[in-house]
Amino acid sequence: MIAVYQQQTIKQNSLVLQMDEELEKQRDAMLARANNAVDKVADEFVSGLSERVGELGKAIQNNERETAAGIAYNLETEASTFGWPRVTRICKWLRKILSGEYDQKPEPEDVLQVLTTLKLMVADANNPDEQRDAELFKKIYPALNKTISDI
Amino acid sequence: MAKTEIQDLSVLIVDSNVFIAKTLSTILEAFGVRKIILCKTLGEAEKKFYNSALDCVFVDFIMEDRTGIEFIKKIRTNPSSKNNSDLPIILDTGVTDVNTIVMARDAGVTEVISKPFSPEQVLQKLDNAVNNRRDFIDVDEFVGPNRRRRRENHTEWEGENDRRLSATNNQTE
Repeated sequence: MIAVYQQQTIKQNSLVLQMDEELEKQRDAMLARANNAVDKVADEFVSGLSERVGELGKAIQNNERETAAGIAYNLETEASTFGWPRVTRICKWLRKILSGEYDQKPEPEDVLQVLTTLKLMVADANNPDEQRDAELFKKIYPALNKTISDI
Repeated sequence: MAKTEIQDLSVLIVDSNVFIAKTLSTILEAFGVRKIILCKTLGEAEKKFYNSALDCVFVDFIMEDRTGIEFIKKIRTNPSSKNNSDLPIILDTGVTDVNTIVMARDAGVTEVISKPFSPEQVLQKLDNAVNNRRDFIDVDEFVGPNRRRRRENHTEWEGENDRRLSATNNQTE
């Protein structure tokens, strides 16, 4: 009797395990599909990046602060989503200075230098150059840090 | 996600950022969600809230005309004939300082997802919001899910030194 009960329990347990495995497989497949789909959206983001940084530059030049802050916020969140950390930090800095959230008011030359750097980084976004971008970021970091200490 | 089948969900995404909205909707589509409504403005979103039955709303913290937080407060305090005030709301935000999170919680947000988000995080937040609902509080000062989260997998102490037992014993003695 005990043996029969034990056999039944083992059978039930293995069924539960199978169900768990099946659910786990479904979940993994779902996530793989989602990750592939996100990669495609990331390609679209990259192809339009240079143009949108250009729009940001124009809005800053025309002193359209609210518009520029909006573009900077969008670029910041998108760049972070699609794996562009330096562009994310630069856009965060621009968003903050455009919204008046700084420790020290930035010099116009600093803003220009940061913007020029950003344009260079995304000029050929389909072929990013990590080493060049790291060096460019190192150069502008003192200007970023001077105005916003926790950037 | 098993309790409520993900395919059966009707989800509203409110985000002025086209790429973020597209990313989120692409993720949900890949999960099998059949009904996804995209809105770029809070005005459009309000109309959808009053005219379509929804299972979950994703809303951005910073919107062009008003903040997402105000929209959430409105949903919570003015439910529609299509949607109850306890509709799960997930705030997606790139601003994650303590003040923002507290503001979101007090506005009645169900879950907060920070940008950048991954498909894994979206699935987890969606599952939590839809399938692990907290008690819903509706009082003058606050309308939203209970701000004290349940502690899962913490069994209550039932040992010999349980103070509740001694209190009951004292009463019966």
